[in-house]
Formats: sequence, C-alpha cells, structure tokens
Amino acid sequence: MKVRKLSLPFSSKLISSLLPGDKILLNGSLYTARDRAHTRLVELMRAGHTSPIPLDEGALFYCGPSPVPPGRICGAIGPTTSARMDSFTPFLLENGLKVMIGKGDRSKEVCNAIRKHGAVYLVATGGISALLSRCVVSRETFLWPELGAEAVYRYVVQDFPCYVAIV
Amino acid sequence: MKTAQRLLSDALIQAKVIEAIGKIFCDREPHAQELLTQALESETDELARDILGDIIDNAALAREERLPLCQDTGLLVVFARLGVDVHLERCLRDTLEQAAAIAWQKYYMRDSIAPDPLRGQLGVYENIRSEIGARLPIVLHLEQVPGDGLSLDLALKGGGAENMSALRMFNPSANTDEIVEFVVDTVVNAGGRPCPPVIVGMGIGGDFELSAILAKRALFTDADERGACNRGLEQDILQRINERGRGVMGLAGRCTALEVRILTAPCHIASLPVAVNLDCHAHRHIRVEI
Repeated sequence: MKVRKLSLPFSSKLISSLLPGDKILLNGSLYTARDRAHTRLVELMRAGHTSPIPLDEGALFYCGPSPVPPGRICGAIGPTTSARMDSFTPFLLENGLKVMIGKGDRSKEVCNAIRKHGAVYLVATGGISALLSRCVVSRETFLWPELGAEAVYRYVVQDFPCYVAIV
Repeated sequence: MKTAQRLLSDALIQAKVIEAIGKIFCDREPHAQELLTQALESETDELARDILGDIIDNAALAREERLPLCQDTGLLVVFARLGVDVHLERCLRDTLEQAAAIAWQKYYMRDSIAPDPLRGQLGVYENIRSEIGARLPIVLHLEQVPGDGLSLDLALKGGGAENMSALRMFNPSANTDEIVEFVVDTVVNAGGRPCPPVIVGMGIGGDFELSAILAKRALFTDADERGACNRGLEQDILQRINERGRGVMGLAGRCTALEVRILTAPCHIASLPVAVNLDCHAHRHIRVEI
C-alpha cells in the first residue's frame, strides 16, 4: 500500500497521479458539510451567490462533529455516509469542488462527475473518532452555527488518514 | 394477598444509566472487540489490516481519554425488563430520558435528534423543537417480567448502520435460501455505509413490527441467550456474507460481518416476516441489572 503525505489544495496534476487504494496523510483545511449544510449551500449557489466555502481550496468533509469538551481543540470527528449527499455533488463539482471525504459508495452519476471534473473522493474510516481528533490542529465554526452538528466547521488537520476511493 | 414491593428510586436508576452510558460512549462491548482482534489476526489484505488496526487502537485511545468512539454518539435504545414486584417513583421513560439528557451533556455527546423528521418541510420545525425543549427522546421497549428486578439493555445506535436495515414480508412457502439471500444482499449492498465489519441482527417471525424489534433485540444477545437452534443458520449466513468480499469499511479484506444473531417468534399462517438490523463495529451495548 502506497502512503502519501499530501497538502490541500490539490492540483490537477496531483489528482491525476492518485490511484484507488492509496493511503493519504492529509494536511490542510477540511470544511464539514452534511445533509442540511448541503441543502443550504446548493440553494444559495443556485440563487446566484458564490460559494461561501472555498470549494477548490479545502476538502468537503461529510461530518457532523460532537461538542468540544473543555481543554480540547475539538470533539469527535469522522465521516458520515457520503451517498446522502449524492444528489448535490454533481452541481458542486461543476462549480469547483475538488476533494470530498466521507464513507461508502457513491452513485454512478457522482463517479462520472468526479472523473469529468478531475476531482477525487477520499474515504476515511468510520468509528475512529478518537484517533482522527488527534490530527486536528485548529477548529472554528465557519458557517450556520444554528445548525449545530450540521453546521459548517473548518478543521485544519495534520496527517489525517484517508484512502483514495474514486478518482 | 399483598406482595411486598421493592422500591427502585429514580436517583438510583438514573445514576446506573448515566454510569453505563459513560462506559459505552467511549468503549465497545468486549466481545465485539475480541471478534475484531480475531478478524485482524486472520486478515491478509494490507489495506484491511491497516483499517482494522485503527479501529482496534481507537477503542483503547477513546477509553483512556474518555472521547467518543464515533462522532455519531447515536440514539439511546433501551430494552427494559421490569419486575412486577418493583415500585417506581415515576414512569420509566421519564427517568431514562432525564438520565440520557444528563449523560449527553456530561460526556459531550452529539445532539443527533431532528425533532421534526421532515426537517421543516411542513413549516413546523421551530414549533416542534420548542415543544420538546431539552428532552432527549429515547427508544424504549418495555416488558414486564416476574420478580423485583429491573434489567436494562442499553445501546447507543448510530444512524449509518440503522439506515441499512431492511424488512420483507415473505410468503410462508419461501425456502430458507431465499431468506438467506435477502439478508446477505442487504449486508453486502450496504457497502461501507454501515461501517463494517458489522454485527447482523435478524428477526424471523412475529408480525411486521415484532420482526423488526426482534432484529434489534438480537443485537443485544450472546450465543447462550439465543440458544443452539439457529446457530447453523447464523454460521451459514455469516460465511456467505464474508465470501462476497465487501470487507472492512466496504473497501477490502475478508471480514464484512463479525457475527449474525437471530431471534425467532411464531407467526400467522399467512406470514413470514424477516427483518435485518445492522450494528456498526463500534457496537456500544451494555446490560445494567438493578
């Protein structure tokens, strides 16, 4: 198994060098977005606004974190099921999204759109929150705090383990 | 004739439940941890070994640092067996919901409840949320049993595995192969979504809802409780799931399921309900006897 240390944002050249099954230790900014954040984001963009999340710079992380205990940088983090976001993903890929992190299969339409737009879908292991939270360097509430666990949080991560699934 | 009743105080039940949640939010049930260790020992695929290693290490770290095993700290599911000679100070549901609300805050667990299942599509989202307030709904199955004890089987059930459940009303003339195929397909087609290796709960018989309750209840049982009558079928289904090769997190390796657990009940002569309920590898289950 090939292990690569990589930093976001990913260039087209870098993405084209990735192979399914490669392990990646990821560095950079992850923006959490799950069901309700996707609904809001796409509504906003369809209404003509630019994306408030820098889709081409960071990675979209399908994640609803748990609250932050005192004295810690973050609470528990980890991937949720990506397929629930499939209906939004082709539109986001058309509008600059390059890197997604989640778990589980994607629809055929999403697989095709990922390849068409030179993007990559990474999977992280579910249920290893304590290990993943160790990779977090900083955390901030980025958008829509009223959505609680479904808000957009920005995590800067160091050596965050994930695997290339679709490229 | 008057029978003496044993008083179980609200405070005692709450303290036991809060303590139990404090164990399972950061640690999986020991038998599941053992099965995962065995899966790692027999695994040859490098990617699967890497993931299984992380899954096992995570539990040790989570336990030590009192961090959630998974950011989805789940929904509290309780199977309660309440002795007929027990006197409670108030309804068990109220006691358990209050204990859950305290535990959720104490252990910094995620509020994963959408008070309105339609997410405001009917325009009532805010109203429903304010009505529920700070209450944390739980799923409670209450059964009366002889005696003066209270037994609580508690689980923190994540959404990803729950979403991959299935229920089918078979014809009574269906053969076992059809049922096996249904279960195997349900688990295999779920891919990485339920966080495999999973534990597969199956309910066969009863009626529509009883089969589903049996499938969930099966996840709480050990081999002794289930008895030997379905052991051959459990082993057969387990083998057939793992032969299909979806593997750890739906990515690689030979282990898609750790165990299959079946409970059965008699059913109507016209029916043969079969339900499947999956649990992720976190398997946060515990029994509390009071």
